[in-house]
Amino acid sequence: MKDRIFHNSKPSDLSLASEIHPERVFADLQAQTRRHFLRSLTGGVGAMFLGSLAPSLASANTVELANDGSQRLDFKRDPRSPLSTLPPQFAARAKRVIYLHMAGAPSQLELFEHKPELTKLDGQDCPASFLAGKRFAFITGVPKLMGAQYPFHQIGQSGQWISDRLPHLEKHIDDLCFIKSMRTDQFNHAPAQLLVHTGNPRLGYPSLGSWVVYGLGSENQNLPGFIVLISGGNTPDGGKQLWGTGFLPSVYQGVQCRSHGEPVLYLNSPKDVSTPKRRNMLDAIDELNQRNYAEFGNPEALTRIAQYEMSFRMQMDATDAMDIHKEPEAVRTRYGSKVGESSFANNCLVARRLAERGVRFIQLYHWGWDSHGSSANEALNVGFKKRCLETDQPIAALLSDLKDRGMLEDTLVVWGGEFGRTSMRENRSGQVMEFTGRDHNPGAFTIWLAGGGVKPGMTHGQTDEMGYEIVKDPVEIRDLHASLLYLLGFDHHKLNFPFQGLDQKLTGVKPARVVSEILA
Amino acid sequence: MSWVKTRIASARGLFGLVALAPILLLAVLLLLAPPDGGERTQFLQFVGRFHPISVHLPIALLMLIPLLELAGRTRYFAYLLASIDFLLGTATLGAIGAAMLGWSLGRNGGYSGPLVTQHMWGGVAVAAAAWLCWFLRAQAVAGGRQRLYVLTLLTTVGIVSFTGYRGGQLSQGENHLTEFMPEPLQSVLGVSASEPVVHSGAGGPETFFGARIQPLFANHCTSCHGRNKHKGKLRLDSFDALMRGGKHGAVVKANETKASELFRRITLPPTDDEFMPTDGKRPLSASDVKLIELWITSGASGTQAVDAIKDLPASSTSQVAEVTFDEVDLEAVAKQRESLAAVVTQLQQRFPRLLDYQSRSSADLVINASLLGLKFGDNELAALAPLSERIVGADLSNTAITDRSAGALSTMKHLRELRLMHTKISDATVQALGGLDQLESLSLFDTPVTSANLPVVARLPKLRHVYVAGTRISPDATLPPEIKSKIVF
Repeated sequence: MKDRIFHNSKPSDLSLASEIHPERVFADLQAQTRRHFLRSLTGGVGAMFLGSLAPSLASANTVELANDGSQRLDFKRDPRSPLSTLPPQFAARAKRVIYLHMAGAPSQLELFEHKPELTKLDGQDCPASFLAGKRFAFITGVPKLMGAQYPFHQIGQSGQWISDRLPHLEKHIDDLCFIKSMRTDQFNHAPAQLLVHTGNPRLGYPSLGSWVVYGLGSENQNLPGFIVLISGGNTPDGGKQLWGTGFLPSVYQGVQCRSHGEPVLYLNSPKDVSTPKRRNMLDAIDELNQRNYAEFGNPEALTRIAQYEMSFRMQMDATDAMDIHKEPEAVRTRYGSKVGESSFANNCLVARRLAERGVRFIQLYHWGWDSHGSSANEALNVGFKKRCLETDQPIAALLSDLKDRGMLEDTLVVWGGEFGRTSMRENRSGQVMEFTGRDHNPGAFTIWLAGGGVKPGMTHGQTDEMGYEIVKDPVEIRDLHASLLYLLGFDHHKLNFPFQGLDQKLTGVKPARVVSEILA
Repeated sequence: MSWVKTRIASARGLFGLVALAPILLLAVLLLLAPPDGGERTQFLQFVGRFHPISVHLPIALLMLIPLLELAGRTRYFAYLLASIDFLLGTATLGAIGAAMLGWSLGRNGGYSGPLVTQHMWGGVAVAAAAWLCWFLRAQAVAGGRQRLYVLTLLTTVGIVSFTGYRGGQLSQGENHLTEFMPEPLQSVLGVSASEPVVHSGAGGPETFFGARIQPLFANHCTSCHGRNKHKGKLRLDSFDALMRGGKHGAVVKANETKASELFRRITLPPTDDEFMPTDGKRPLSASDVKLIELWITSGASGTQAVDAIKDLPASSTSQVAEVTFDEVDLEAVAKQRESLAAVVTQLQQRFPRLLDYQSRSSADLVINASLLGLKFGDNELAALAPLSERIVGADLSNTAITDRSAGALSTMKHLRELRLMHTKISDATVQALGGLDQLESLSLFDTPVTSANLPVVARLPKLRHVYVAGTRISPDATLPPEIKSKIVF
């Protein structure tokens, strides 16, 4: 104990730890070597100097400035409640987001992009200009143009075109805002999904949901602010990084929940462990983590404490929120949901229940839209049809439910893939394939938004007559992100986090534009 | 100093003539061929670009001479006096050379305007004044009028300063000296950091230019051609600035799109180096270009009324404004919040996560009791009474409130959004909402209300939607049509 003065923890910590494990005190003392002493000595001098500066640095009313000299928004919170809510920068149009990602990239040409000219040219050789300078995942040589595989019709007061694959969604066509001129610079699934969800095709950046929860916090302290639900039999190619936090504190990362059985595995106490017993155990673990934090000052230790506490509170609330048994039979029928299944329908119903419980960001992934035509499940004439059946009814039911409750006014629903599909039929290895399919087209794809301050019943942007390239109002992923953040009440420049000498932003360093045309 | 006079007296006379001739020539040149904004010989432009470099020699020499004159009066530096005559001669020649180069640049490089004219005549005056100093000094040394020389020298320094300042304004912007001047000094000197923009009153919001054309510039151009940056010396942030043009002169010629540089630049292929907006900034849309074309062909007027031009391209009439962001004025917000701040803090402590400000830039409040569930009832809502005027959004879904809260709700005069889902409230509460004339959205989902009092709220001026699914109101209920359109079943 001779160098207690350089040891940051309080004596009470030691006594408490000794109750848990007397050997720990001994180990701790042994860990204090001469090197530790010398190291903390030099650090100590610096710390004393900095300590003398501290009061002036922390004066209450100063506004911290960002690197560009503008005023920095303060996202500091009590480390013990890192998810506490903060008001948005300005009045928000949307309070929460339900993001429906169709992993694998659904074909816009079979759903929303009506291109009669392409249908006329069906089966003809693709013009050379379509191929010059382009990279494809699988197309080789000169592929044939391929018209829509399903008939289109106009519907609703807005008179928008839709194919016959989405008979339920089309009832909501006047609630939807299409962006038909989305583009990306990634043509493989994983990086393209990362770009859509983190603003960057490389690993290590915080996801949209993380940024939103970092900026706004979570209203329901008994549930994570960012919940991820997966269906379709596979995790999306981009992996769990799609809901990771990158350099943001890891407490903001998405929590993947299962839509049947226990929502989060091992959340509930094992048999014969009573709640008080569990509480005691958590208290002890918390003390150890607290001690670790006092010693090393790593904020991730606090994250860990907060997560343990949250999971304790979640035992009650998460189970309730995920339990679709509690919904009336009629509601489940509308969603096409079957209890006990892991399905997109169940996830949509859960998404609505989570939205009602104040969860900030609800992310759904449905896998299996990669309709290359390489197998039945990956074909426009088989697998694609099934995907439409699996998603059409639940999405329509979700929109109805939100609308009935008035929640569509402040819930932003986003539907989309990670890129589009080509106007040409895929000819893998230059062969005519057994099933019909299309290759990846990063040059143009369609997404839709609904609710949350978005103008309903409109289309923004336009592609050429072949549905291949954008001819009007291109929208970059960063523009979409800037627009979503705007609807949530943020200037995308201001929702930032200093890391590696840069005020890191979801929208990156290239200029991003709020797509003002789609704002209600 | 008699050696100067005796040894090269004839040379002096020659120099005097040789120097005076180009000065006169310069003056004639400026009168006959002034800079008029046009661009001419490239070679002379190339030569002219050396003007800013060459001016520094005569400036430095002329500024130095008073110093040498003073220092030369002392014992230690008396030898300096001997150099002054040579330096004045050099300064004269330097000033003539610099002025020549200046004319090459101004005449051929597309300059025009009062700044250029003043700078130009200043340059000639410097050359002339330097020559005069040189001449008078020789007289003074020989016993002539000393005072006249001193006066001329000081005047010369004055002209040099004035001309140099105008030159600086030309190359670095009109406010280059005052831009970062400390505020107190600015007010003492009575200068304003912002560039004075002459306003003729043209281009106001009621004019076609102000309403249709200026917003396009503001969205696409003024980040480079505006108050803070004037690339190519062009500003597009007002009608007068636009008409003043840029470094290549006027950019808009009335009735002639082909002769209008601005129009040429925005209609080039986007890959062209001269295409505007440059560097991947968002180009003008086809309808924007059409609008500018119409404005130029109808006279490029700054006074034409907003509805004077017919046949506008369709989409231009529904222009969507770009989203711009303002800094939050924290002091102003704090001031607005001040009066009730203590109550807010106290209630925030009493009901954690129940209420918060609507945003960081507002003093308005939003409450969300839906997560407190049945723990929140009429008594709790009553506790919020001191804040009721500030509440703009309230979600009381799932709570235990009843019709006893009707009074509390009716005092929330600024409420825009109210959610009462899954509560026990009934028609009495709906009746009480009849005075909330800011209300835009009301959710009565899953409450026992009937259609009896629905018209009371549905008639509120700002109301857009009432959500009544799960209530006793059926879609077939007979309701006036203007109300029915707002009701979501």
